[in-house]
Amino acid sequence: MDFISQGILEAFRLLLSGDSQTYSAVAATVKVSSMSMAVSLAIGIPAGFVLGYTDFPGKKQVRVTVDTMLALPTVFIGLLVYAFVSSRGPLGDLGLLFTLKGIAIGQTILALPIVTALCASAVEQMDRQLRVTLISLGADRLRLLKTSLWEVRHGILAAGLTAYGRVMTEVGISMMVGGNIKWQTRTVTTAIALETSKGQFAMGFALGLVLIMIALTVNVSVSFLRRK
Amino acid sequence: MDLLTERIRTGVAIIAFAAMLCLPGATVQAGGKVLLLATTTSTDNTGLLDYLAPRFTGDTGIELRWTAVGTGKALKLGQNCDVDVLLVHAPAAEKKYVAAGYGVDRRRVMYNDFVIIGPGRDPAGIKGRSVAEALPAIRRAGAVFVSRGDNSGTHKKELSLWSGAGADIPDKEPWYIQTGQGMLATINIAAERRGYTLTDRGTYIKYSANHGGNPPLQILVEGDSCLRNQYSVMLVNPERCPGVKSALARAFADWLVSPRAQKLIADFRLMGKQLFVPNAR
Amino acid sequence: MPLYQADNLSHDYNHKPVLQIGQMEIPAGSITGLIGPNGSGKSTLLRLLAFVEEPRRGEIRFDGHPARPFDPRVRQVTLLPQTPYLLKRSVFQNVAYGLVIRGRRMDLQSRVWEALEMVGLAPGEFAARRWDQLSGGEAQRVALAARLALRPRVLLLDEPISSVDAASAQLIKEASLQARKQWDTTLVIASHDWLWLNEVCDDIRHLFRGHLLGSGPVTLVFGPWKPAGDGGVEKILPDGQRLKAAGRPDDPETAVAVLDPHQLTLSSRASLVSPDLSRLEGTLIQIGIEKNSDRLVATVVAGNIRFAVNIGPEDRPGLDSVVPGATVWLGYDPRQVKWY
Repeated sequence: MDFISQGILEAFRLLLSGDSQTYSAVAATVKVSSMSMAVSLAIGIPAGFVLGYTDFPGKKQVRVTVDTMLALPTVFIGLLVYAFVSSRGPLGDLGLLFTLKGIAIGQTILALPIVTALCASAVEQMDRQLRVTLISLGADRLRLLKTSLWEVRHGILAAGLTAYGRVMTEVGISMMVGGNIKWQTRTVTTAIALETSKGQFAMGFALGLVLIMIALTVNVSVSFLRRK
Repeated sequence: MDLLTERIRTGVAIIAFAAMLCLPGATVQAGGKVLLLATTTSTDNTGLLDYLAPRFTGDTGIELRWTAVGTGKALKLGQNCDVDVLLVHAPAAEKKYVAAGYGVDRRRVMYNDFVIIGPGRDPAGIKGRSVAEALPAIRRAGAVFVSRGDNSGTHKKELSLWSGAGADIPDKEPWYIQTGQGMLATINIAAERRGYTLTDRGTYIKYSANHGGNPPLQILVEGDSCLRNQYSVMLVNPERCPGVKSALARAFADWLVSPRAQKLIADFRLMGKQLFVPNAR
Repeated sequence: MPLYQADNLSHDYNHKPVLQIGQMEIPAGSITGLIGPNGSGKSTLLRLLAFVEEPRRGEIRFDGHPARPFDPRVRQVTLLPQTPYLLKRSVFQNVAYGLVIRGRRMDLQSRVWEALEMVGLAPGEFAARRWDQLSGGEAQRVALAARLALRPRVLLLDEPISSVDAASAQLIKEASLQARKQWDTTLVIASHDWLWLNEVCDDIRHLFRGHLLGSGPVTLVFGPWKPAGDGGVEKILPDGQRLKAAGRPDDPETAVAVLDPHQLTLSSRASLVSPDLSRLEGTLIQIGIEKNSDRLVATVVAGNIRFAVNIGPEDRPGLDSVVPGATVWLGYDPRQVKWY
């Protein structure tokens, strides 16, 4: 298992020497996951809030649907998105195949149910007295929403991090929709898959460590928020 | 006081997030002339395309981008008009493909060859024999044979070898293991099960190098004419797919069969060994 | 003009009625007590009065105007719920929250300091604490301070001392009264602490199963009830006496009879009970003067049930020699018994 120790050394060499292929893959990963997370959070937090806070006809069915979508395999999402963005697909004219935007669409489908479901759970577990307290302290509707979201920030943060973890580590969507094109859509995970298939286990391991370091950076900056 | 620090912290977090979004990607620009190639993992994994692509761009000013997938998927991408040109190695499938009107102007580029590898003690006794003798021998001995089982070019080749040797495909035999994985993973499985497998020579050279030149599996059958692995270049049919860049695709195909590219292919070395033999007509 | 006027108020949760109030008024500057068993609708009534929820039917007029949640007018009303919620922030930010969202930043610190001092929390020590570094009693007091910082016109307290230590309870009592003294705040207090309510309230309302049972400490007699010969029903008390009631309750097993203390009489001898009334023999437990009136309030135990009796000045002479512990006779009219 000497490739593990080689991989650790290689990971540092790649990062410190500014290896352009590695940084290209890192940039692709960060860009595409940021795009998909931005959209997922922008839609998923309000949707989760509505799902957890309000009652409406069909809510149970929506909840079951969202919970089921948590189990979508990434390769399946990849195929689904491919069917739409392929030249012969309904969205073929947009030219999204083999682009980061195309991957981001798939990753949004992956992350959105996670953000929505976990936010809904966090909001559901919110103390019932919070609403009473805020209104009776004079909060208007907008303030009520803002403060309530702020009160469940730890739950929302956890939802975001869970989704981010899934998005950053998925390989099925990136491979299928992105095509693992060098300098373009090669993310850290598709690079790992490639290096592994080439038998470059140490290199694959090193890239895995790079991915973990990105995740660590994100989590450390988030824990800075969580401390409050 | 506390409110202020709260605002500052939130602000910092938002700016950090925004900065991540704007992070520039390291992209190579080539004046907009971009050609998209679907090819098989072997050409990419061996480094051949990394070696050829900059020389092609230098000669023609066209940027080459490629997605390396299994032959089946590469053909499918062309059928769906998602790529401009194909470099694949499954002649029988390619002929049907051209006949169906999906591809046009198919031209031979080069070949490498397949070898049958197996454990040194060779339980089926196939060393040095022809493919037509070796495969029935493995079947008779019930020795483990590991197949890609993934509809890749190599897998298709293996299936054609079984039928060429006058044998049924041993799909459900207990000694016939289908991995559904890449070539290297399949070799590793064969090594662990002490079985035989069919591999392209390039992957075997890499595998051998990974084991410091002394791998557990050795070449037992090679050089048989039916083991030849022919690569061809093919344009995606522009009549079916008006969006494809057929002019750039044709430039790439022309370049690949040109004497200059043929010489480059012949000069390409992996671990000091020649991998591909150019044979454009 | 009363501060609150409620008309035909009703409310339900999941189609289960929880509150049904015909008429209710609360005068400005008063202290009103709410008593009643758990689930009687006290908290619901307080939430409606706080304009945190809207009644399903009926209307609450505040200051002469129909009012609804989020009206600017009702920002002068604030509620301390039974289990208060502290925001996940510092004590300072909790107490300041209401002022901050009103855009009051000028005297923010002095107002927060003042409120913390009112509830007996040293500002220097507590302002910077986190929400999760407080004991139960301290948390309750921080929650109260958050309301007091607003100098509210109405302060609604839902069981404010039921789950806190004795010292906190005392501080909470004092702070609420101080609010009324300093800012003429109208207080509505739901509590089990009958002695406290009796001591401070101008008026006490009894709630039972969502109904307002009139003022003062009514007597509740729970079923089961058995049919009596005269067409009414009766309950056999543990000592063998029979409590009679007219009418047929819907469900004799669970029906509750309500006896108004003003409808009961107290006599030192059976022969003194008016012949029009039914009698019960019991023991006088306590007797005292009703706040702000010339009437007496007495508690009598008969057959394990505590009866509250309100005695007018005209009936006092016959009771001069009666002291707690004495055997006394209650007179009641079975036709005056109400059912819930």
